[in-house]
Amino acid sequence: MKQARVSLLIAIAVLPLVLVSCSGTPFSCSGAAQRTGGWSGPVFHDGIIYVGSKDGRVIAINASSREEKWQWPDTTGIRGLIYTTPIVDGDSVYVGTYSGKVLALNTSARSQDLPFPQNKYGEWEWDCPIENAKNNAIVADLLVSEVTIYVASSNGRVYALDKGSGDENWKREDLPVLAEKLWTSPVIQGNTLYVSTFDGHIYSLSSETGQSLNWSFQSEAGFTSSPLIYEGTLFLGSFDRYLYAIEMGSNVSMWKFPEEKPSGNWFWASPLVNEGIVYAGSLDGKLYAINATTAKEIWSYTTKDQAGKPSPIISSPVLIDNLLIVVNESGTVYVFDVSTEFGDEVVPLKAIPIGASVRSSLCAQDGLVYIRGEDNSIYVVDIGRGEIVEGWPLSLTTEQ
Amino acid sequence: MEVWNLVIANPVLNVLIALSHILGGEFGLAIIVLTVVVRLITWPLNKRQLNSTKAMQEMQPKIQELQKKYGKNQQKLQQEMMKLYKEAGVNPLGCLWPMLVQFPIWIALYQAIMNALATTPENLLNLAQRLYSWGIVNQAIPLSSQFLGLDLGQTASANGSLGLLLAIIVGGTMWIQQKMSQAPAVDPRQESTSRMMTLMMPIMFGFLTFTFAAGLGLYWAVSNMIGIIAQYFITGGWGYLKLRSPFGPTPVKGK
Repeated sequence: MKQARVSLLIAIAVLPLVLVSCSGTPFSCSGAAQRTGGWSGPVFHDGIIYVGSKDGRVIAINASSREEKWQWPDTTGIRGLIYTTPIVDGDSVYVGTYSGKVLALNTSARSQDLPFPQNKYGEWEWDCPIENAKNNAIVADLLVSEVTIYVASSNGRVYALDKGSGDENWKREDLPVLAEKLWTSPVIQGNTLYVSTFDGHIYSLSSETGQSLNWSFQSEAGFTSSPLIYEGTLFLGSFDRYLYAIEMGSNVSMWKFPEEKPSGNWFWASPLVNEGIVYAGSLDGKLYAINATTAKEIWSYTTKDQAGKPSPIISSPVLIDNLLIVVNESGTVYVFDVSTEFGDEVVPLKAIPIGASVRSSLCAQDGLVYIRGEDNSIYVVDIGRGEIVEGWPLSLTTEQ
Repeated sequence: MEVWNLVIANPVLNVLIALSHILGGEFGLAIIVLTVVVRLITWPLNKRQLNSTKAMQEMQPKIQELQKKYGKNQQKLQQEMMKLYKEAGVNPLGCLWPMLVQFPIWIALYQAIMNALATTPENLLNLAQRLYSWGIVNQAIPLSSQFLGLDLGQTASANGSLGLLLAIIVGGTMWIQQKMSQAPAVDPRQESTSRMMTLMMPIMFGFLTFTFAAGLGLYWAVSNMIGIIAQYFITGGWGYLKLRSPFGPTPVKGK
């Protein structure tokens, strides 16, 4: 009897821990290798949509026929999650992976399903060193200039790779460790890279050597988003729930928004600036229009989920002519006419629910917006007509 | 799930992050302080159990008398023992009930550690929805997971020899705590069960420490140490740790 009670107690002790361990945390029973995730967004180039799927494949799809042109790796060779949105340059598709690789895929070689990498097609694979960091995951979008790809790594360093060969352009021993991990993308102006960090720094680096330049900025709270450069000013969000405007070269911020108490949550995505107005989405579900010079709020709009509750805005807004497009996590695409003078009430031109959760970046092309949903499907929204024109799933090779 | 997050998980998470900020960004110290706080909250229950343990120790002469008297009739001995326990109002299962009460805290703490350290991009994004608007909390994000050479967000096994040491400490301190409070068995069969329990639980928790985030192992280790200290002072010594089994040659090493 007593033994039974003891066994029961042990069982009760172990059960919750097992349940917790199997509840989808990073150390889940299923193991990281089988985890699906990542929020790679789609990119449109020459009639083809390129996107990272939730099981870690880069997929090329004909935008008109929906025909899959190629996928890499194939169904047997999953290599890790993809958080970066692919970048297309000529025949090359560049993507960074959570397993610490940058891949240069050639569209011709992949269409022929040749073994990877095909050097003669300009394909390469670069392994990010772990150094003394916890890992080398690449979460931030790659930055591509004329001849170089800049990579921010979870090991806290920025690397410069030759676009053609994947060779590192900077000496590893010269590279400063900027933070415990870098999940925000660098931005470039002239010969200078600007990198924001989770510990509240903005560093300026030489785009030629990778070495730190004289100017850096320090804030009390860490920065959540990659900076956006507009007329010599960096705009970015912070963990303290403010959006900051920082003039390059200055040691104090030009302004922070909101002026008084902080907003309802972090400004996770980089803002967009158009004609002196900053458009910033917040995880509190609001889209803010802010005067870029004075930080005065021009208008704000709270996006909602299907239950009428505010839904976080995770990806940056995009602009098609005078139409501002933003999507919230619950999957409603909002369209605002930025040429409209809103009065007391801000009314979106359209609100189009796509029926899937969204965390990826948007891709706007020819009046259409391409969206990868968290259900691993691609949705095409016709902004003019205000409706979904297409939606199709990317096949998964592993269980969700 | 909503209720769980609202009432337990989110408060633990936010307090842990706020503590971390107050303690100079040391997440490990925050876990230790939170452990002390949890121990203080559950103190009335612990004290009751410790008093029960002390009462059982004081009953030892009577128990030995019963063993002499009914040594050959195990069924009668058990009945008399249980009667004695009942009269004294003690629970022979020792420290197990306070442990059960702590389960929700363990789960909340495990979730808090994983969420607060935001080891994956999804975790960081999800963390935003769990944080209070306190300035102290938002300024503390993101937290550093390093503490005394351990990465608190990684499994103890991923922490190498330090992780192994942590697992040994958790198992060792749990064994000591259990031995201190485990009442002697009344018959050889019960003795066997009791011995198995005393070994099983530390081994199991040592293994769990090795499997889960090191931050949870740190909580268990500190919690056990506090338990040992409290038990030492309440019961006035090492309790049953030095006591030899009355059944056969099963030596129990004391400290």
